[in-house]
Amino acid sequence: MYPSRKAISVDRRQLFGKMGLGFGGVALTAMLHRDQASAIESQHEQPVARAKSVIWLFMIGGASHMESFDPKPALNKYAGKTISETPFADALTSPFMANERAVAFDPNNGFVRTELFPMQVGFKKHGQSGLEISDWWPHLAHQADELCLVRSMWTEDSNHGAQLQFHTGRHRIDGFFPSIGSWVHYGLGTLNENLPQFVVLGTPVADCCGGMEVHRANYLGPQHDGVPLKIDPKDPLPFSRPPREIYREEQTEEFRLLRKLNQLTATQFPNDATIAARIKAYELAFRMQTAVPEIVSFGNESQQTLEDYGINQKDTETFGRQMLAARRLVEKGVRFVQVYHGNNGGAGQWDAHANLKSSHSKLCHQVDQPIAALIADLKQRGLLDETLVVWATEFGRTPGSQKSDGRDHHPYGFSIWMAGGGLKGGVTHGATDEIGFHAVEDRHYVTDIHATVLHQLGINPRSLQIPGRKRLERDFGTPIQQIIA
Amino acid sequence: MLRSPCRTNVHCALRVIANYPLFSLFVLASWFAWLGEMSIAQALDPYLNQIKPLLTEKCISCHGALRSEAGLRLDAIQFIRAGSDSGSIVVNDTLKGCKLVERVTSQDIDYRMPPEDAGTALTKEQTQWLTNWIEAKLPGPEQESFLASPRVHWAYQPIVRPALPHATRDASENPIDRIVRGVQEEKQVRSLGTASDSAWLRRVTFDLTGLPPTVDELKLFIEDSSLAKRQQAIDHLLSKPSYGERWGRHWMDIWRYSDWDGYKNELRTSQRHIWHWRDWIIESLNANKPYAQMIVEMLAADELVPGNQETLRATGFLARNFHKSNRNIWLDATVEHTAKAFLGLTLNCAKCHDHKYDPIPQTAYYQFRAVFEPHRIRTDQIAGVANIDKDGIPRAYDEDLDAATYLYVRGNDKNPLKDSPVKPSVPDFFSIPFEIVPIALPLESYYPELSDLVRQNVLADKEAVEKSAFVQLHAKISALEKERAVQSDSRSAGFDSRGIAEIELATSKLNFAIADRTSTLARYAAEKTRCAIQSKFDSKYVCRRDNQIGSAIHPEGRLPFRHGVNAKTSWSVRPLFNIENPSNPWLEWTHLAKKASQAEFWHMRAQASHDVLLQQRAYDAAVKLHSKETDSAKREAAIKPSKDALAKSRKTLDQFASEPSVESTTYTPIGKELPHQSSGRRLALAKWIVHSDNPLTARVAINHIWMRHFGTPLVENTFDFGMSSPRPELLDALNWLSAELITNGWDMKHIHRLILNSDVYATASDSNDVDFYQANNAKDPENTTYWRANVRRLDAEEIRDSMLAVSDALEKTFCGPDLDFADGEKNMRRSLYFQHAYEKQMPMLVLFDAASPNECYRRKPSLVPQQALALANSGLARNLANRLAEASLKALNCEGTETETDAELFIERLFLTALARPPSNEEQKACMAFLKSQTNLMRDPDHLTRFSDDNNITESNQSPSERARQSLAIVLFNHHDFVTIR
Repeated sequence: MYPSRKAISVDRRQLFGKMGLGFGGVALTAMLHRDQASAIESQHEQPVARAKSVIWLFMIGGASHMESFDPKPALNKYAGKTISETPFADALTSPFMANERAVAFDPNNGFVRTELFPMQVGFKKHGQSGLEISDWWPHLAHQADELCLVRSMWTEDSNHGAQLQFHTGRHRIDGFFPSIGSWVHYGLGTLNENLPQFVVLGTPVADCCGGMEVHRANYLGPQHDGVPLKIDPKDPLPFSRPPREIYREEQTEEFRLLRKLNQLTATQFPNDATIAARIKAYELAFRMQTAVPEIVSFGNESQQTLEDYGINQKDTETFGRQMLAARRLVEKGVRFVQVYHGNNGGAGQWDAHANLKSSHSKLCHQVDQPIAALIADLKQRGLLDETLVVWATEFGRTPGSQKSDGRDHHPYGFSIWMAGGGLKGGVTHGATDEIGFHAVEDRHYVTDIHATVLHQLGINPRSLQIPGRKRLERDFGTPIQQIIA
Repeated sequence: MLRSPCRTNVHCALRVIANYPLFSLFVLASWFAWLGEMSIAQALDPYLNQIKPLLTEKCISCHGALRSEAGLRLDAIQFIRAGSDSGSIVVNDTLKGCKLVERVTSQDIDYRMPPEDAGTALTKEQTQWLTNWIEAKLPGPEQESFLASPRVHWAYQPIVRPALPHATRDASENPIDRIVRGVQEEKQVRSLGTASDSAWLRRVTFDLTGLPPTVDELKLFIEDSSLAKRQQAIDHLLSKPSYGERWGRHWMDIWRYSDWDGYKNELRTSQRHIWHWRDWIIESLNANKPYAQMIVEMLAADELVPGNQETLRATGFLARNFHKSNRNIWLDATVEHTAKAFLGLTLNCAKCHDHKYDPIPQTAYYQFRAVFEPHRIRTDQIAGVANIDKDGIPRAYDEDLDAATYLYVRGNDKNPLKDSPVKPSVPDFFSIPFEIVPIALPLESYYPELSDLVRQNVLADKEAVEKSAFVQLHAKISALEKERAVQSDSRSAGFDSRGIAEIELATSKLNFAIADRTSTLARYAAEKTRCAIQSKFDSKYVCRRDNQIGSAIHPEGRLPFRHGVNAKTSWSVRPLFNIENPSNPWLEWTHLAKKASQAEFWHMRAQASHDVLLQQRAYDAAVKLHSKETDSAKREAAIKPSKDALAKSRKTLDQFASEPSVESTTYTPIGKELPHQSSGRRLALAKWIVHSDNPLTARVAINHIWMRHFGTPLVENTFDFGMSSPRPELLDALNWLSAELITNGWDMKHIHRLILNSDVYATASDSNDVDFYQANNAKDPENTTYWRANVRRLDAEEIRDSMLAVSDALEKTFCGPDLDFADGEKNMRRSLYFQHAYEKQMPMLVLFDAASPNECYRRKPSLVPQQALALANSGLARNLANRLAEASLKALNCEGTETETDAELFIERLFLTALARPPSNEEQKACMAFLKSQTNLMRDPDHLTRFSDDNNITESNQSPSERARQSLAIVLFNHHDFVTIR
């Protein structure tokens, strides 16, 4: 239910009339400041909005930073040696090691692997900026000058609960909290009333690692949950159309009578405000029945577009469709599109404990062209400036090998990137040490990414707190000012 | 176009209001007192806007009402001026010599405030606020209220029945009415009067059964002119089984009911068959089991009535918290939700530090945890089912009586204070006796395999195996005899040897089965005797030892027992008694143990010998299979595994070559022997919770019950009655009902009756007199005095169940195993019987805000368009609409709705069935017109368009008018009033 302008004015009156200032202060002070042009500084100044939407790509399982966006020649030089035998032995005794927490002891995974494992792929410099990107990302490399790499991420969970942690900012042991998409939805509301505002594409994270909570709103209420859509015009969301024997005209008439009857009830019970809200919800539902299938049907997209996104090729088809749908969604004003890649019912396909070379090269191939096409398409349509694309994963992978041709989980240092939405392009921010072990320069916990996203959307993260639900200092994060254009 | 930040902020602010209109009143404990009717000018006061929130965040946990270290409080200006034990902290309102600024800006980490482990330093901006404010000479509101001591907090006061305001009718007038009317008079509001019979009956029927009244019930009730009819209706509804189903679901919300959950078939949270707990809840409510007793049974049925399986189901409350991979998550949930559900205490806030608002030190969190530390969950067999994957009772028991609890520094489990284990206790702020008495358990509790029930299950299984082996052997023999009779000698030789081999195998199998059963019986006898003897020593020597059960020492020597041994551990014991002494109870055991030892020997030998036969066959088959392989090396390699397995099985058999020792008393116990004692900690906690002096338990329960009858609670935050919870407007009603609950033996139906028979409950929700309504509304817009009934949306389960009920499709089977959540559109049972777990929830229920299995002290009804889609488009709704239309016609004995009269009757019947009221004239007219036009529309389907471009849709055989009636029925399912209680 979205308040109309009228509803807002009523609320505001009621607010001052009966609530006093008793609702947590934060948002109200901001409101006073803006609405009454008061000279008083609000406790939380709101930044200027640079972006209106976010496309959030999440690689499930932990993509290797050393084989994607953070080349480490030292790994090749010292391959086979243990870390203690190299000049980087300090990494193992760093105080950062204490950040690691696990939900449960896993006898197989989540260890420090000391025998260094060489990079499994080459790197080249790309674009005018000379951004270093691995050879498994040939298409994305063409967009190098749009990308803003953050190579100094760290998190806590050494197991895949880190998937949840990346989205809520809290370790699995601490419980469930609102996800970043829900906060955006909560803080910004809607630009298009015919569509859900927080959409989830792809198969979500498995329940081992956070499950649906990764895109749920928890205490913010279910109206701020991500709404999973299928890229299937016939069945994009639950109950999206009546059983097949029903005719459109038949249902149109039903809705018409329903509206009439509800209006009659509204006259009878003038004080029941929910009737009007329900009438509105039904109107919206009726429009969604058309709007949602339309958004996931690509009939009016050109052949060239379909080809660009890789929809005509087997390997890239699925993700290509999701990327194209994501563009169509933000084009229509959807605030937050969260796309999952790599669900396998468990930890995720990017979890390369073995066969890193073959599995990562295959997975990169599945997403590389579609992501590159998305960036190019947004740019061409003038949407990249107001759309923030985020590519992320729960943690990186160990510089050492897991006694095989793969790498273990690595929460101490890893990479993500962002593009568009008012951020600088072609930049690299932060760094890990020579072997990719610890984030050492401009370290960022996951909530700094949340804060940066919110900042670009015009929200001061600190204004996102509701009464009775105190957030910790670290939950808010800090926007990464250095990468903001 | 980008939105201006201004709009987005407004949006943000409004969302806060829209979602948490009342929460907003008690943001932070120290804030609420001075919030309220404040002018804008005050709102812009830097003290209230910057300084006070800052001090609240950074300082008052140590320098506030709960703790005032160094005698310093910073929660009001008067205290700031007063300073600490060592003097002023703000001198002459200047920065010079200002201790406050000095401490917060100090670079010396040991001197700086807040201390390093209590919070981060103030930012430059924040320090600037502080100095500006001090230089401005500490301006602030003239009157500033602040928290008093926790001792005076309303919820921590003893429950005392308040004096009632004067009755307006007679002395028997409902006390709730007297209290509520008193508050209404104070606020100068007047009740809207009594709801109509039909509105009241629909309201109370949903409230008590979760279902709508039938048309017949409605008619009878309206026609009934007796004065006692409402009272009779209440009694009747309270006696229905569906009362337990409705209120069972309410308490399942509060007690976090969740079916088992996990990855594929692997159990990760809750327990299989936890539905037994759900059934216990429903049955207990229907039997009107006292609330206090329910709490005790849920927390400690295994200590209260250890042998009573029916009651043990109650401990599903604990079993539900099971968490496979992390014991801390498991126990944290147990602590948090025991405290929230029964006490309205946010004990969980004290996991990492002392509670910020309530008198709960961090230690108290771990003391509370220690109560649960020894307990674990197991599944007990039920009669007739030996396989606990199929059925069984998940239940709590104390497994490790020595398990230590450590305080985790800052809540970090990596940092336990191992030097000082925490003892089980309860927050000592509440001076209620807490006494732990260890409890001796009966044999069937500490050694379930020795219970008659399990014994019968196991023996029944073994007898079945034996019988089937016997039947098989017999069949093989007959087959051979038959073959011999018809075949000539020369040709039958091959068959003969095959037949004999099969008989040999069947014989071996039968031998093995017999030996298995014999060995089980013998070991059962020995163990039973051993335990019977030991239990005597238990009661004498063990139970008196506080919580220490380990190896008990008998004056005459060491008893031949260890506790908590693994089921695989063999008993190898040498009693130190004089075995020859005929009065020695161990003599009998020794005799039985020898028998058991020998029976087990023969059992193992039969098994080994049977195994050799099987391996021999596997080997022969492998040899035959690879006989054509010419490369001998390859052939050998292919045969090797079965050859090795055969050799291994022979070697095993060799171990049993010699006769068993007749003196051996060594045998494998038939199950796991658990501690003979339960710590008694949980029972002590349960008794503490339900102690009549506990100020919280009854209040929290009354608040939950009240909220579910009135739509809003008396205390806004149903799980936090602590200092952050402001004094409720109707505290007298809360106290009076709480006292009534306790003095009436925690009788919940009594409370329902009191509430439901009140005038307040019967109040209308709306009024035709607009001025009257508005006058009230102006004075009490939040309806805190209940001058009108709150209009409520039905809960998720009620929506689905009432669709089933009005369509006469509801399948009323009572209780039983959980149903597949995916069958929600096909299976017509009530919604509470379907699986409800983390990833196993019926989509339609989720859309209508079903309880989160993780935590749901209060449902939050939302209004999102997906709900409209669910009611308009689901196959279930369409199917039931059709049934509703048909059932309505049938009830009227009508053929159709072609005539005007029939159509009118049909519409009226639909309204009465679905909405429990007749249609108004206008509604009637609109529906008549619709039936007509929709019938016409459907007469010519060729002109219509499908939603689907699928051409293979079989045309329905419904007539146009039938289809129109179905349309009308689905419209009523989607009607605002269908999901609304007025």
